[in-house]
Amino acid sequence: MKLKFLHLALAAALAIGVAAPAAAQKKGGDVVVAITNAPPSLDPHATSAQAARHVNLHMFETLYARDEGAKPVPDLARSVAVSPDGLTYVFTLRSGVKFHNGKTMGPADVVASIERYRKGGASASLISAIDSVSASGPDQVTIKLKTVQSTFLGNLSSPRAPIAIMPAEEAAKEMGKASPIGTGPYKFVEYKPDSHVKLARFEDYVPNPAYKERDGFAGAKIAYLDTVTFRFIPEAGARDAATMTGQVQLNETSDEATAKRLKGNPNFTVMKALPYAVQVLKFNMAQGPGTDLNFRRAIAQAINAEEILGTAYPDLYLMDQSWVYPGSPYHTGRALLKQDVAAAKASLAKSSYKGEKLIFIIDNIRPNVDAATVFQQQVAAIGVNVELKVGDWPTISGIGLKSDQGWNFWTHGFGIEPYEGPASAMSHWVKGQGQRKDDPVIDELFAKLNGEMDVAVQKKLFADFENRMADQAIAINLGDYGLFQVVSNKLKNFKPYRITRMWGVWLE
Amino acid sequence: MIRFILRRLLASIPVLLLVSLITFGLLWLVPGDPASMFLDAGATAEALDRVRREMGLDQPFLVRMAQWYGRVLQGDLGQSLLLNRSVAGAILERLPVTLSLTALAFVVSVMLGVAAGVLAAVRHGRLADQGMMTLALIGLSIPEFWLGLVLIWLIAVMVPIFPAGDYVAFATDPWQWAYHIALPTFSLACVQMGFVARMTRSSMLEVLGQDFIRTARAKGLPESYVVVRHGLHNAMVPIVTVMGIMVGALLGGAVVTEQVFSIPGLGRLIIGAVLSRDFPVIQGGLLFLALIYLAVNLAVDLLYAAIDPRVRLE
Amino acid sequence: MSAAAHTATTVAPPPSSRHLAFLRRLLANRSFTIGLVLVGAVVLMALLANLIAPFDPLKGNFKARMVPPGAGHWLGTDHFGRDILSRILHGAQVSLRIGFLVALFTAVAGAVIGATAGYFRYADGPVMRLMDAFMAFPPIILAIAISAVLGASVTNVVIALAIAATPHTARVVRASVMVVREMEYVEAARALGAGHARILLRHVLANAMAPLVVRVTYVFAIAILNEAVLSFIGVGPPPPTPTFGAIIANGRDFIVAAPWITVAPGMAILVSVLGLNMLGDGLRDVLDPRMAVTTR
Repeated sequence: MKLKFLHLALAAALAIGVAAPAAAQKKGGDVVVAITNAPPSLDPHATSAQAARHVNLHMFETLYARDEGAKPVPDLARSVAVSPDGLTYVFTLRSGVKFHNGKTMGPADVVASIERYRKGGASASLISAIDSVSASGPDQVTIKLKTVQSTFLGNLSSPRAPIAIMPAEEAAKEMGKASPIGTGPYKFVEYKPDSHVKLARFEDYVPNPAYKERDGFAGAKIAYLDTVTFRFIPEAGARDAATMTGQVQLNETSDEATAKRLKGNPNFTVMKALPYAVQVLKFNMAQGPGTDLNFRRAIAQAINAEEILGTAYPDLYLMDQSWVYPGSPYHTGRALLKQDVAAAKASLAKSSYKGEKLIFIIDNIRPNVDAATVFQQQVAAIGVNVELKVGDWPTISGIGLKSDQGWNFWTHGFGIEPYEGPASAMSHWVKGQGQRKDDPVIDELFAKLNGEMDVAVQKKLFADFENRMADQAIAINLGDYGLFQVVSNKLKNFKPYRITRMWGVWLE
Repeated sequence: MIRFILRRLLASIPVLLLVSLITFGLLWLVPGDPASMFLDAGATAEALDRVRREMGLDQPFLVRMAQWYGRVLQGDLGQSLLLNRSVAGAILERLPVTLSLTALAFVVSVMLGVAAGVLAAVRHGRLADQGMMTLALIGLSIPEFWLGLVLIWLIAVMVPIFPAGDYVAFATDPWQWAYHIALPTFSLACVQMGFVARMTRSSMLEVLGQDFIRTARAKGLPESYVVVRHGLHNAMVPIVTVMGIMVGALLGGAVVTEQVFSIPGLGRLIIGAVLSRDFPVIQGGLLFLALIYLAVNLAVDLLYAAIDPRVRLE
Repeated sequence: MSAAAHTATTVAPPPSSRHLAFLRRLLANRSFTIGLVLVGAVVLMALLANLIAPFDPLKGNFKARMVPPGAGHWLGTDHFGRDILSRILHGAQVSLRIGFLVALFTAVAGAVIGATAGYFRYADGPVMRLMDAFMAFPPIILAIAISAVLGASVTNVVIALAIAATPHTARVVRASVMVVREMEYVEAARALGAGHARILLRHVLANAMAPLVVRVTYVFAIAILNEAVLSFIGVGPPPPTPTFGAIIANGRDFIVAAPWITVAPGMAILVSVLGLNMLGDGLRDVLDPRMAVTTR
């Protein structure tokens, strides 16, 4: 009897073992990925730029990471025990995890990394609730919070400016000066500014045994490729050309025209990463007609959001105006803005706007400029006179982050915040950061959300936030847009995500 | 000769100083700083200030200026704020790329331009002359970057003969280097080619009309010998005089060509630095470009003095 | 090649017939006339743009985006659905105005600076060093930097391009001024008690006029080209202003799908610049045939 059971078990095990991998993954090969911008730093704590994430999240990992559905799950930690009062988190670390320089990861490294981030990380405010971090055992780290934070695990696992775990010796270095030594499936090889970053498979990498498959930023991150090279090619045409000629196997972002052209091409697959970001139209509520609710309402009624998105992101937009993405448990299927020119004119008449020229600042990215151009025409129809001020990002962001610099409108995308969750999505409007004027209702909702552990209540708070944003026209959520990613058919099992993940993919 | 060189070198110093002062003036006026490149759109004011402090940007402008001059006098151009390497390193990495593009375009435009100009002069008034000069005029009038775009479209995408950009170092693979640099060189050289052709033609016409040419012909020397040995040799003088300006124009054009073809050269480095406010790279890069410009002008003046003995009396 | 009319010591025929003869010589020059026709055509297009443009150049049509050239839109539409032909016609207005203003400012600034440097010996050194310093900047980078400082607008583009073009013009003026400075009639005028200003204006600059005019024509052409580059890089006049360069820049991401957006404005630049170059050539031939070494 026992023997038969054993035979059965063995057969079952074999069956599972054989069935699990879908197609035959091949180890080896070199892949080149074309990305738009170069990472400003390979020190993961120092920068929150998207370009840095592509590269750094292949070399570094975090205690907890977001899965495919953006839920925080264990990555370098095995598990966490949270005290009943929600103020103490005890993380049990995985054992046998190696850094790229051969050192074994231990609690000292985790503590040093978190402390470094707390002091000067790009989004240090994420973990400002931390009171103390300490090693509490051979594979244990204890974090004590000052106040309850429902979003703590979410913040810890934020991929935005990740709280990457690096060796304590690197963590001791000044911000921006740490060498790219992490625990990730790929390790650093070389960086040529304005050209490329090259990574190679880290042979001593052990995928997290708790998972079988890749899962968002977590899961089993198996590196099949020998090397991955990220080439920085800012010109869209050059990226397309490089893809067509086989110089790169993956183009981070292409456009509708190329996507149409490549339909049916046996060598390439075009994938949509949609939704990828929210296109936001911001008002300066501290100066000019933006202070007036009637004016903001008039604008919200005058525009046709679909025309704006359709021009800026042809064939690549989604008319959804919730501040998190569809698929998130906090997503509200809220009604879309309706264009009503008559109502807009009426609201405008009630407002303080006297026909003066207004400034719309935009940075030099084509879709943002296009969105502003369409907006300009649409509001001209109700008599609002808008002038576009295009500049590079340092100039424009410098103007937009101060209230007194003479801007009235600003548009750009928010990619990572809606992905991370309700608190992240709300954070930009807290303390008046985005809209330049405090809204006490939003501030209060944000504080409550942070302290509320009950998901149902959280959902209600978030819905209240969305209503407040729409009601007061604090900013306009035009909708979601995406990316066209062009993949060579030689690269197998690629799936678009927040970054171009090169684990779990292989070359044919 | 040595005195001449030394005097010119000495005269370059105030120019370089002026260049760096003008650059500082522009940087002082330019709004924005590189901190915003480190963070994304959701950055808070505190985060930006922190990054600024880490970059040393919170110090007063004059202090930073003084520090830069102090370093430069010791031969140190500083560290890039965004590129993770020294400014000198970044420049030296890019220099061969831009130099090879510019030098190749220079050679191509001189060779083809001179050939076209000579042909036009020799066949003065006939179809070949009209044709060459019309082509030259059109070449002069084409916007380089537009030509680059159209070439990419026609010859790299529609009919994939040449690659659409990128750069392979000569040392790595000479054939690939030539293959990749063909289109950019052509679009860069086009304008200067037209210019050289016209200048060569008018210069040759002037020389060929002179007495000593008639004498040479009367002596029974073969026409090709007359044209090349006597005619061209003398016609080159005006061309040499404008070579300095030509190189300046090519360097300026290379900057744009690098953008269109995604070539990692000095031009792209500096434009990228300006757009992302990487101050040390802007300072060092512009100073370096000025150095190249002055060096080329000096070389051209020396060449001119070597060719035309009348100038040596200076 | 006709004899140049710049020797002031010959007895001059009455002014009106001298000008008429000059004009006749100009019009007889083939380069000048063809150039005049081309430039004239572009200028005419620009002036009549408001009348003959079939569509509003700023208004997009969401349903007619990226339409290829055809009956409805002769040169097609861009990705906003704006008619390319109308944009080019209106773009001619802006591009030509920029070119003209740059040429004007450069002429004035170049003349003042060049004359000062050429005439007053003590000013020559420092002024020319300063000009050298500006010339050591590739004009595009100078223009990008200035645009970043002043912001992107038609005015600031003009300023940036004028600053970039002035040093060379000043050089040209200075060279002519230096030649004339030594001439006897200038010494004679000074001996008669004429002030510096009077000498400069009446005698010296009059001599520098010829090369200045030719140079300025080329500056006009170069300005149109440079404005296009600035728009291409992204620091030109802000949208939705149509300029030749802006239309090309708009089309650059779609060059494979909609090449007409890029090709048409490029041809417009080609025609304008070609015309101006031919104009300049004609002027040079008539005014001073010895000036074959003018540069671009």
